[in-house]
Order: sequence, then structure tokens, then C-alpha cells
Amino acid sequence: MFEEIQRNLRQIDRTAFVVFIALMGFFTVFLFIPILYIFIGAFFTEGGFTTYYFTLMFTDPVLSESLRNSLMIGVYATILTSAIAVPLAFLMVRYEFPGKRFFQGLLLIPLVMPPFVGAIGMKQLFARYGSINLFLMNLGLMKEPFDWLGQGIPAIVILEALHLYPYLYLNTAAALANIDPTLEEQAQSLGATGFRLFRSVTFPLMLPGFLAGAIVTFVWAFTDLGTPLIFDYPYVLSRQIFSKVQDIRINPMGYAMTVLTLAVAVVAVLVARRYGSMRSYEMLGRGHITPRVRRIGDGKRRWSVTPVYIGLLLVIFLALIPQISVVLTSIAKTWFLSVLPQEYTLEYYYQAVTHPLTVSSVANSFIYSIGSTVIDVVLGIVIAWLLARKTFPGKDILDSTAMLPLALPGIIIAFGYISVFSGTILNPLNNPIPLLILSYSIRRLPYTTRAAYAGFQQTSVSLEEASQSVGASAFQTMIYITAPLIVANVLAGGIISFSSNMMEVSDSMVLAMTQPYYPITKAIYNLDLRLGDGPYIASALGILAMLITASCLLLANRLLGRSMGELFRA
Amino acid sequence: MVSVDVRGVSKSFGPVKAVDRVSFRVEDGKLFFLLGPSGCGKTTLLRLIAGFYQPDRGEIYLGDRLINDVPPNKRNIGMVFQNYALWPHMTVYDNIVYGLRIKGVPASQRVERAKEILRVVKMEEYAIRYPNQLSGGQQQRIALARALVVEPDVLLLDEPLSNLDAKLRLETRDEIRRIQRETKVTAIYVTHDQEEALSMAGRIAIMNAGRIEQIGNPKEVHDRPATVFVAGFLGNPNIFKGKVLDEKLEGVITLEWEYGGKIYANRNGLKVVEGQTVVCAVRPENIAIYDSDPGLTRIYNHMEAEIQNLVYYGLMEQYSLRCHGGTVVKATIFNPTSHQRKVGDKVTMIFEPEDVLIYPA
Repeated sequence: MFEEIQRNLRQIDRTAFVVFIALMGFFTVFLFIPILYIFIGAFFTEGGFTTYYFTLMFTDPVLSESLRNSLMIGVYATILTSAIAVPLAFLMVRYEFPGKRFFQGLLLIPLVMPPFVGAIGMKQLFARYGSINLFLMNLGLMKEPFDWLGQGIPAIVILEALHLYPYLYLNTAAALANIDPTLEEQAQSLGATGFRLFRSVTFPLMLPGFLAGAIVTFVWAFTDLGTPLIFDYPYVLSRQIFSKVQDIRINPMGYAMTVLTLAVAVVAVLVARRYGSMRSYEMLGRGHITPRVRRIGDGKRRWSVTPVYIGLLLVIFLALIPQISVVLTSIAKTWFLSVLPQEYTLEYYYQAVTHPLTVSSVANSFIYSIGSTVIDVVLGIVIAWLLARKTFPGKDILDSTAMLPLALPGIIIAFGYISVFSGTILNPLNNPIPLLILSYSIRRLPYTTRAAYAGFQQTSVSLEEASQSVGASAFQTMIYITAPLIVANVLAGGIISFSSNMMEVSDSMVLAMTQPYYPITKAIYNLDLRLGDGPYIASALGILAMLITASCLLLANRLLGRSMGELFRA
Repeated sequence: MVSVDVRGVSKSFGPVKAVDRVSFRVEDGKLFFLLGPSGCGKTTLLRLIAGFYQPDRGEIYLGDRLINDVPPNKRNIGMVFQNYALWPHMTVYDNIVYGLRIKGVPASQRVERAKEILRVVKMEEYAIRYPNQLSGGQQQRIALARALVVEPDVLLLDEPLSNLDAKLRLETRDEIRRIQRETKVTAIYVTHDQEEALSMAGRIAIMNAGRIEQIGNPKEVHDRPATVFVAGFLGNPNIFKGKVLDEKLEGVITLEWEYGGKIYANRNGLKVVEGQTVVCAVRPENIAIYDSDPGLTRIYNHMEAEIQNLVYYGLMEQYSLRCHGGTVVKATIFNPTSHQRKVGDKVTMIFEPEDVLIYPA
């Protein structure tokens, strides 16, 4: 008996266990306790336990409408996004045609701009006296201006879909490309073709990948704060929560709404997990699967590619409308009551790089993003190492904890931080930098963890053992063998974390309360609120931020492209 | 070079006893084989010696040194992995000198020793290649060179040939044997391939379910398998039960075959009593086929049978013979060109008492 316990203890790696405990301590303070505070705030008031505020959510007309609206935005945005992304994925994975690589690049452009920046430009186009209405009225097709944006929900849904379809497209395309072609060939040889083949074999096999992307789409659209803010549409849950941040000490309604948001997000993720999607860490596919590719536009049937081009260009044009309108706004001297700007200028770019608000915000965004990326890379490597290489009790807990932020809307962490750390040494009212960096890093941690985990998975343990067997210590092995082999993955995860941090909205809106601490996104929001030249400078800043993000992604691509070649995976 | 001494070593993973009270000794400079089916614990045993696992009990000695608590990098044991584990980001040369760099061998000596070991494995021209530019057999040699260049006390090989095609496997077998003799390194070689083990080994330990069933030289374990498991694992014998009818005959036991009829088996020191049930094993290659009973004058086993199936392999012919009660016996006839038999023919099969291996049931 005693001997057995001793043996079990010996099998636990002591270092691994100590690191695990330290990590869980970190997560407890900066993840679990903030969430716990939200729950306590929602259910316990001075009078003790209550569900009054939840009842209120369904009885109060404004709140229940907000809840309904948010759910509708989530569902419709997911449907619209799927309608764009799934056919795109099929086209790009299963067909070969001239110019495919070019289109593949263009399709990803919306990734570099959050929808709320696009919303600034969209207002110019779709406002009551915006370009579209003026254009239609000039042509005599319209008598009274139509209030496009006043519709609120459709405008938000379209903007979310145009921003989010690349995520879903990438997920679905990866899932499709991973399907072993022999599985479909087998079904075909048994007589299944066309839709029947799709329904019975292809669709079930791609479902996990599709669901993983669809859940990200839903949670994002359901909880997005930036877009409703810029469209000035208050009847969504995220904005109701945002409006309660100031008085959380006296009004528990914010807590209750946050709990509800979290519950919806968690349910959505659990549904997706049931189909085994969030747990699959596959990043680069497993092995050499050559997808079944058909060629379009070859030889005599050269013109058959035309509908493909028309479809792609339409999607890309629609997706780029927000970007194009932001570019136009940024170079317009004035743009008022006319279809296109009357005069063009680069003055607002000059202002965007010299204005004290914008300059400090760019510097802030870099500080926050670099800080949180460093934390993410270090934690991601350590967590992935524990998960991939070590055995210790609580491994499943660590796995779930590290992936939890995927389901966690930013506004929840921000809200939790305010309720936990107000009045402490980390009080965001005094100096929000530490909390901003921590909230950014907690939310992007799954990216670096997954990336590093994939690196460890692809690096056979025997490569490390071989190093030890010729005399290298564990540390030497880490430096000379493991690190060079996983660096490409870690870098990729780090850069993706970094670029999404540069455009982070929810945490920034809530936590960065005073101007000196504004990051780029909050500076854009505040500029847009300013009358006169505000929206123009905001657009110019948005374009600059987009260029920074885009060049980061290109850099990542280049770095990866090169080191991919150095990885020599046989 | 040193001897390896494994004394009463056990290792469990959760409820599974992967290695169970195993003891053996490998003398200095010898090539020792661990042979067994997959999951028998042979690789676990190898990894215990390498230091990647800690034994739950028992001791492992390199020469006089107890190494239970020595980390793998301080054991001076070289290892060749099943997948070769060549570092993909380093050239062949860098792979080989890595261990020398770690040990602080000066640069000039490093070059010399790398050259020397590349000559031994006949891969001099490949120093600046990357592993993915080498064939499986070449990668195998580099893995061997990398393990040997640090002059380990012991070399461990974990199924080193399992990823090679059949022809290359034969060639590489000879290469490993030659290199082991040349370097005089004490080597422990794990495989599930009995042919590999029988043709290369000095001594073999046959493992099953975490235990060693028998240790001996190739001829001993093949001709006199100590247990039913060993008999079954080496060759693919006919196994059946028999009841002892008479054990008074000089050196020979008379058995009642479970399917009817009598069988004679050499006693081989096994103590039996009348009425006891024993397990018998007869190898297919020890069964001869005649058109009718040749009527020999000594004690032998003969049995009428009908050819149920026969498969021609070039070098040999494999028969499935149906005997009393419908039971089927396998027989292998080498050099079969002179025979002209077909399915359905009535034949007599014959085997000698000394070819019937008997074990307590």
C-alpha cells in the first residue's frame, strides 16, 4: 500500500506539478476570481440571494429587447457568414483556377480591420444623407431618403458578417482539406454522388471544423461592443453592460447581464464541443493528404471560370466596402451631402500622426500588445509543454482553463476586473496598464498555447530523448533541439496574438478610462464622436492601424514561410 | 565497454505491469536481444536501461555502477530509436557532432571522430545533407553513427530495422552486426522479428507480458523452447493437448491425442504421471508427408489425413491436413518440386517423437 503510493508519487513529475500549481494560481487571480465576482454581484445583494435582476432582464422592455437583439445579431450574423464562407471554402479547396492564389490573399483582407472601424466609413455611405441615398435620389430612383442605419440590426449583422467570414472560411477550408479523399472515393464507388455524397460523407467530416469557426462567429457577433457603439445603436446586451460599468457599485444589473452573456457563450461552446471541435489542436494537418481538386478554366472551356470570378469579385467588393469607405473618409477634405467627397486631402493623416491623442494611443497599443504577447508566448510555451510532455494530476483542468478564454467575451473579463480590482493597487482608474495587458493576454492565450502545442506534437519526443542519450541535459535539449523545432509555430501564434491585440475593442473600451491610457481603438472611437474633423482623423488612424496589423501578418507569413522550409518535416 | 546487469526490475503504468521482475546479464562486448510480441514490455525495459523511465523496484548496473537514479544524459548509453529521431534542423554532420559538442570535445577532434564514424557506417559523402534528403537505410546508419560517436558504454537499439523494406533490412542486419563487432560495444537490441533475433544474436531473452520466458543462444531457444509461449512465438507450431497414457517406456511418453489416436513424445526430463494433461507443440516443418504409411521399424508418429488446402511459395509448400475428427494440422514441405499432390488426396503424415515438444498444461 505504502509502496504503491510512493510509486504513484514517483510517476508525477515534481517540476511539472509545481509549474501547474503556479499557473493555476495565476488563472485563479486573473480569470476565476473575476468571473466569481460577477456571479456574486449578480446573485447576492445586501438582502442576500436574489434572482430579481434576472427576472428584470426578461420583464424590463429595454433589457429584454436588448437580449433578443443580441441573440438575433449572433444567429443572423452566423447564418450570413456561413452563407459566404462555406461556398468559398468549397471553391478554394476543391477547385483550381487561374488567379486562385491572388483571390485567396484578397479574401483575407477583412481580418486586419475590426468591424467598428469599418462602421465609420459605412456611416458615410449609408447615413440618411449618405452617398447611397444621394446617389439613388440623384438618379430619381428614390424620393425620400431611407434610414439604412436606423434599422440597426441588419446593418450590424452585415458588418459583422463581412468582417467574420474569413475566420469561418479558414476553419471550413482547413476541415475540408483534411478530409481523406479516399473516404469520398469509397462513398462514390458505393454509388453516392452529388448532394447525397455531401450530406452523408463530406458534411459530417467537415462539421467539427465548421462548428469551431461558427462558434467563434456567433460569440463574437453576440458580444461585439464596438460596432453598436459606432452605429450608436444602444439596444444590445454589450452596450447595456457597457453603460452600467460606471455604476457597478450601486447597480447589480451589469453583473446580471454579464452572467447571462457568459451563459449563452458557454452553452454555444459546449454545443460545439459535443461535436469534438474545440479540443482538436490540429494546426497544419496531419500528413500528406492531397485533396480532390478539379480544374476550371482550362483549354477550350476557358470561359467557364467567368462565373467564379464574378462571384469572388462580388464577395470581395462587398467585403471591402467598409475598408474602401474608410479610406475615402480618411482622404476626404469634406464629405457632406455628396455622393463622393468634394475635395481630397492627406491632412488628416498628418493629424493622425501628430495629434497628441493619436500618437499616445499608438504608443499605448504597442506597449499593451507587446506586453501581452510576451506573456502569451511564455505562458503558451509552458502550458503546451506541460500538456504535451508531462503527466500530472489536474492536466485536464489546465487544458480546459487555457482554452476557456475562447468562449469568454472580452467584456466579461473587463467587467470582472473592474469589480475585483477597483480600490486595489491595480485599480484601473489610477493606472489601467497592468490590467489591460493581463486582460489582453488572458484572452489571446489560447492562440499561442494551441500553436506551441501543435509544435510539441509535431516534434517527436524521441528527438529530445536522442539528445539526452548523447549526454545533453534537459535544459540543453530544450535550447538546441526543442526550441528551434517549435519556433515557427510559437512565432505564428505570437504574431497572431499581437495583431489581434492591436485591434482589441472590448477590454480597451471598458478598462482604459482616461485619455492618456487610450489604445488605438478607443482613440478612434473618441475621435469619431467629435464633431467636425473627428471622423476623418478617426478614419485616417484606422487605416494606419490597419496597415500596421497587415504588415505584422505579412511579416509573420514571411518568417513562417522561411522557417517552414527549415523545419524539414519528412 | 562494460557489462549490463538487470536485477529484479519491475515497472508499472497505472494498473499495467509493463515489466515484471526481470533479471538478466549482458557480458561486456556482447550483442544481446530482447525478443517478444508488441506490448510485451521489451521497449519499456530498454527505456528503463536508457533512463527514460525509473524502475519501481530492482536495480540496474552498468559494470559495477548502480544507475537507477542517474539521469539519461549521465549514463553514457547510446540509443538508436525506432524512428531514428534524427534532428531535422541539423545536417548529418551536426547531428553526429552534437553529442561531442555537448561533452566539450575540442573542434579538431570532433572533425576526426565524425569522419571516422562516417567511414565505419560508410556514409562519408553525406555529411552536409539534411536528414530528409536521406533514404530510410541511410538515416538508419546516421542514427547508429550518432549513437556510437560519443563512445557509449552500451548501445541500445529499439526495433532499428522495422521501418526498412525487406531487402534493405537484410543488408542492414549484416551492417549492424559488423559495426557492433568492429566497435566491440555492448549492445542490447529490441525486436519483434524472430528471424532478426535468431540470425544476429549472441544471446536472446524472449519476453511475454512483462516477464522473460527464456534466455539462451539462438539454437537453444529455437530447438528447446522452455515454455509453450516460446515454442509458439518461434515458428508457428501446431499446438494441441494430450493425456499421458504411459510414461514407463525408456525416454518416450505415450499420449492420447485430444482428437483421438496415440502420440509418442520424447520425455526431455519432464516429470509426468499417468492421466496428466500436457500441451504439445509440433512445428509444421517437422511434419513429413507420405502417400501411405512407410512402416518404419522404430517408434514414430503416423496419422492418416486428407489435404484440405495447399499453398505454393516457391521455396516451400504449405499444407493444411485434415485428420481424425476434422482437426486441421499445418505442415510445411521444403523443396517441393518432386511432389504432385492436390487438394482432396489421402496422405499419411509422419513426425518424430523428438519433434513433439511437451509442456505441463
